[in-house]
Amino acid sequence: MTFDDYWAALDAELAAVPARPTLTPVPARSTEDYSGYEVRLTGLGGHRLFGYFSVPAGPGPFPGLLELPRHGSVNNPPHHVERLRYVVFTLMHRGQRRADEPFAAAYPGLFALGVTDPATYVYRAVVADCLRGAEFLLGRPERDRERAGVVGDDLALLTAARRPGFTAVQVTGPLLHNAMRLRHTTGEYPLEELNDHLRRHPGDEERVLGTLAYFEPARHAAAITAPTLVALPGVPPRPWTDELLGALGEQLDTYQRTDEDAIDTRALDAWLAGRLGVEPKARFVS
Amino acid sequence: MTSSSRKPETAAITVGKPADFAEFWAETLRAAEAVDPAPELIHRPGLSTDRVTVGELSYTSFGGVRVTSWYTAPAAPAPPGGYPVVLHIPGYISEPAVMKSWAERGYVAIDLAPRGKLRANAVVDPGFPGLLVDHITDRFAYTYRGFYVDVVRALDVVAGLPGVDAERIGVWGSSQGGGLGIISAALRPERVRCVVAGAPYLCGIMAATRLTRSYPYEEITEYLRLDPGHEAKITETVSYFDGLNFAADVRAPILVYLGMEDDVCPPETGFSVYRLLPEPKTLLTYERCAHHAGLRWAVPEVEKFLDGFLEPSGAIA
Repeated sequence: MTFDDYWAALDAELAAVPARPTLTPVPARSTEDYSGYEVRLTGLGGHRLFGYFSVPAGPGPFPGLLELPRHGSVNNPPHHVERLRYVVFTLMHRGQRRADEPFAAAYPGLFALGVTDPATYVYRAVVADCLRGAEFLLGRPERDRERAGVVGDDLALLTAARRPGFTAVQVTGPLLHNAMRLRHTTGEYPLEELNDHLRRHPGDEERVLGTLAYFEPARHAAAITAPTLVALPGVPPRPWTDELLGALGEQLDTYQRTDEDAIDTRALDAWLAGRLGVEPKARFVS
Repeated sequence: MTSSSRKPETAAITVGKPADFAEFWAETLRAAEAVDPAPELIHRPGLSTDRVTVGELSYTSFGGVRVTSWYTAPAAPAPPGGYPVVLHIPGYISEPAVMKSWAERGYVAIDLAPRGKLRANAVVDPGFPGLLVDHITDRFAYTYRGFYVDVVRALDVVAGLPGVDAERIGVWGSSQGGGLGIISAALRPERVRCVVAGAPYLCGIMAATRLTRSYPYEEITEYLRLDPGHEAKITETVSYFDGLNFAADVRAPILVYLGMEDDVCPPETGFSVYRLLPEPKTLLTYERCAHHAGLRWAVPEVEKFLDGFLEPSGAIA
């Protein structure tokens, strides 16, 4: 199956599944400044996903922000300083806590699940979950139609490429990008899952390569129409290929991390706030 | 806003120590010790390499709850006297890691999965967010009671593993792992050779809720938004679990590292617990750093500190 056919088929399959979102107000996460909700919505295969949703108080309109989940079982709700400024949706994809019935992801275990076949690779469904999260946020009436950001690892690139309503994209680090090459540079998970698999099944290398090619962010990046900030690590090696950075073209902006994370967090916050028309805010409070 | 206007170095955070604090923990540990830990180490060949053996270490803890941690060790036979151990305690939202790189450095390296973590949540699953406030109005039922004991019992179990030198066990963690490193070293001083605590959480708990809007302390703020009348009860409960009330009982040498703009575990709380720790102790602080607490620069210091006390026989070539 061609790259385009693969993703068109996924879009069609997802479109056939009504999202059926339910929003439950959460008084504990609601203040005079914002209202908090817990959201459940349906993804590919009928799996019920989960997310935290928060809407600032006041007339608005407010920019939207989709926070994609980190690679791990647990993700926090959106931070106070995000809730103050954005209509923010923090998604849990299938397998993560609160979206883990009937499928609970293992860590390690998720990253290479089904990786020998693009039809069964778990990230086909995970990406679909991110797209569903994007559809939910972009469709919310509380959001300013002209302003929406997406932040996360390189799943943000796939999401922004396939759901063009975003006006700012921020990529904090790699997950799927260049994985078959980067696996040789580390013994850390999740990339070590590929090493574990290929140690046991060395004959699978071409099949794994073939699967991951569908998910390679560099192949999606050219479709992104929004300014995109890619964070570079504080120390070498640089994980991002020239192919990926080049594919982003004029949309590309980069941030060189210092590894002084208060500095880095403020810089990333300021970039996003600038693109979405709100004031920067620091998490370290007076 | 920067740390310069907050002066965390001189902030004085105190936590009232309940009169029956020692009795509460003695009773808790007696209850835990009455349960046979029945340790079981299951080899995971699919995750192992020719240099590192990976396994899952299960044991039974407080209340009969079975928990399972990741175990890694050099694949080579243990030297006479056994390998030293690095016991790592994960952060609040982190899952325990498979610490292959530490095994390659000559350690048995174990990353704990206390109750509620994956593979340790079949019976107790407070959800996330939620652990910090799960049964928080009753210190006897507070989920962190068993969670703390899971770490303490891990020290007991690990000390009895074959191929391990029980005299060379070091504890390391950051955030929740930092706070529980201090606490477990206080509750089992005879087991712990040295401790590293980064950005320690669970220290100055109620004060922290007034210094930050970040999770996990935000969980208490949210709880009190709905039930403000529970503040006194919560303050009482967490005083039994606050690292400031354990710090003086630590007997092992300790390295503490802090980020001076940490929005998750305010540096004021880190300085406060550090002041209460007995010597020998070392403090590293990192300006312009938040909850990573200068990890890029701290990790080499952590390795040097642990290697100095635990003396691994050498990295695998």
